[in-house]
Amino acid sequence: MSAPAVAHRVVASAPVVAVAGALLLTTLVMLVVGVDPALAYPALVRGAVLDGNLEYTVAAFVPTLGMALAFALPLRAGEFNLGGDGQLAAGGVTAAAVALLVPLPPGAAVVLPLIAGAVAGGLVAVVAAPLSTRLGIPAIVSTLLISAPAVSLASYLVRFPLAEPNTGIAQTPPLPDAAHLPALGGSGYLTIGLPLIAALTALWLYADGRTVLGYEIRATGQNREFARYGGVRVGRVAALALAGGGAFAGLSGALIVLGPPHRFVDGALTAPGYTFTAVAAVLLASARPVVVPLTVALLTFLQVGGQGMEREAGVPSQLTQIVQGLIIVIVAVLATLRARRPR
Amino acid sequence: MYAAELVGVTKRFGPVLANDGIDLAVARGEVHAVVGENGAGKSTLMSILYGLHRPDAGEVRRDGHRVVLRSPTDAIRHGLGMVHQRFRLFPGLTVAENIVIGAEPVRKGRLDRAAANEAVAALSERYGLRADPSALVGGLPVGVRQRVEILRALYRHAEVLILDEPTAVLTPGETERLFEVLRTVAATGVSILLVTHKLSEVLAVGDRVTVLRQGRVTGRFTTSETDADELVNAMIGRSLTPPVRRRAHAPAGDPLLEVRDLTVRDADGVARLSEVSFTVRPGEIVGLAGVAGSGQRELIDSVTGLRGAVPEVLLTGTPVKAGRDPRVAYVPEDRHGRATAPAMSVAENVLMGAQRDLASRWALPRAKVRARARDLVDRFSISAASVDVPIGALSGGNAQKAVLARELTRPSTVVVAEEPTQGVDVGVRERVHDLLRAARDEGAAVLLQSSELSELRDLADRILVLYEGRVVAEFPGDATEKELGRAMTGATG
Repeated sequence: MSAPAVAHRVVASAPVVAVAGALLLTTLVMLVVGVDPALAYPALVRGAVLDGNLEYTVAAFVPTLGMALAFALPLRAGEFNLGGDGQLAAGGVTAAAVALLVPLPPGAAVVLPLIAGAVAGGLVAVVAAPLSTRLGIPAIVSTLLISAPAVSLASYLVRFPLAEPNTGIAQTPPLPDAAHLPALGGSGYLTIGLPLIAALTALWLYADGRTVLGYEIRATGQNREFARYGGVRVGRVAALALAGGGAFAGLSGALIVLGPPHRFVDGALTAPGYTFTAVAAVLLASARPVVVPLTVALLTFLQVGGQGMEREAGVPSQLTQIVQGLIIVIVAVLATLRARRPR
Repeated sequence: MYAAELVGVTKRFGPVLANDGIDLAVARGEVHAVVGENGAGKSTLMSILYGLHRPDAGEVRRDGHRVVLRSPTDAIRHGLGMVHQRFRLFPGLTVAENIVIGAEPVRKGRLDRAAANEAVAALSERYGLRADPSALVGGLPVGVRQRVEILRALYRHAEVLILDEPTAVLTPGETERLFEVLRTVAATGVSILLVTHKLSEVLAVGDRVTVLRQGRVTGRFTTSETDADELVNAMIGRSLTPPVRRRAHAPAGDPLLEVRDLTVRDADGVARLSEVSFTVRPGEIVGLAGVAGSGQRELIDSVTGLRGAVPEVLLTGTPVKAGRDPRVAYVPEDRHGRATAPAMSVAENVLMGAQRDLASRWALPRAKVRARARDLVDRFSISAASVDVPIGALSGGNAQKAVLARELTRPSTVVVAEEPTQGVDVGVRERVHDLLRAARDEGAAVLLQSSELSELRDLADRILVLYEGRVVAEFPGDATEKELGRAMTGATG
């Protein structure tokens, strides 16, 4: 393919069109509500990458990427995991409980809570599998429905049995020092969570493209009847993919809790909206898993930058949520148009 | 003047010409049967009449006036009603509620239940369709649910009633009662279009018949002046069949596939297969004939293991294993729904089933997957730009060759082929036939299901005929199409 042809394909690809379109529409919204885009956008960029904010953006990138994997892995098997919040909270509270209640030697004090968090997230997610394969309740519905009680349960645990005594604040006591994630190069925000999630992303990309399991997951997602016909145990594969997604979510929760401020604060996991930023990023990457880290980076940039924009230019950070929402809408419209094009 | 007319209706779906200049006219108060094989264009034609599809050319007339139907709502407004093969009822609502839905009697902004029940009772009285207005639809037998569907159409003042394969779901007793109802309804001046492929029914209840084949009208008859033979000829057509190539030696040895007294029921307890028994020996091709929906799906899914472990099916003497038995190579009819994942590459499509053999531990090296695919593409002369293009981008014939390549290179002794030449051109058809003959000559037991009788006659050593889930006849491979056609439509004698 010639260079102009490559350029054309990149420029006309769904993610680029969607982001450009969303930014254009958001600019229009800014003009309508009387915000000066010439002030807002520089503030957004500064909020995300300048003035020492880059570190914070990268720190937010870690759980968002983890949640993107939580959505993307089941999606490869054709299951929509919208219960990320519940799995995230379950993973976080489990990790906090293990770190607080189980005396562990250094090293294990970090590793075991992470594993426990991943297992908890996986268990919350896998409940949806038999509901889908046995009872025909779509995972998109059941994961979402299971999410709310899981978040509430975590909230209950941190308010009562695990609460820091005599403070009245819904948070656990600080975790023991041994359970803190090692910081990366003396940074205040960055921990080994970043290399860990990067390695897991690479592992997922490898498994997806070059293993038997990855092949069977993709076949199940592309055409379940084809996979069943080929002898793939599609129910088991779908359950495995959901459990794997849930484990990524649970691990993300554990990473947040074991990172600064080293405690489970009620609402701190779900309030930043990692789950749906991640869903937007995966949808934006459409069918290409390799692109997922890039789209996650882009949306994290918008998310964190939006807060900076609010601080500096007085522009409500909801505007960046408008960008995100518009991206999803445009991706959906493009996908629908493509499907409706006569074959 | 006719109650409803289709004039010169043409409808194309991509490369498929589903309806090709069809004329069909239904008089007031007549029961008009529309017959044809699967894929003859009946459903498309009825969908056009009911506003579900718009014709590419031609027009629809009601009482002599041209009407444009953009949706079923338009069709209902013009006095058309349709009873679909799959009922569209709310099981949690009562009979009356299901009937009045969309045109409810309202009092003070709320559904007037008493008025609804009364209206439905009057309606069922008038047409002799007995149904309790206050019964919940979920608890009713299939035959009564169908009556509710008919009542719903009549409640909306349907003057032309389309019934799509209405007896497919009914017991013989219910079928009898349905026919009585249809005659009563027709006597009130309502025109009935009965879509079916069962000739006995056409002759029993129809006044006139229109026969379709490959999207064209191939016959118009008055039932009192025709018989099953004439209809079969119009339905299946008299294509000149070339002399059948046979082998010198007869198949021998213990059967590789044996089905013993197999009965399969669907979720509603209706028998889809009844006491089916047959064997296929090594080096033998056994053909399976029958109109669509006679139990082919259930039989083939049982034989391949896709219905789970079925003890009545024996492969080389032992029961079939659940979830795709590796001893069976299976070429499915539904190329996009089952045989392939259209968006996946050719390489990944021909991989299915062999992925664990090709893997070293868990890793599945792409180079190996591609090399194997290239080898199959060469050996089976599949034309594809590369093995990395989506299989959905290949022509139907090449995709089919890829499916055959995958299945026939499995280490299997039983081959099940379902409509293996559907939608492929003549050249590929020859190639597919050669491959099936080659599998037979290498000692495989081949079960060939086809709706093309000439294909069965070309290939099969014996032909079994399925009708309503039973093997009703067995013919030698050189049976005439007339004999087969009669058995397929349940015509006795």
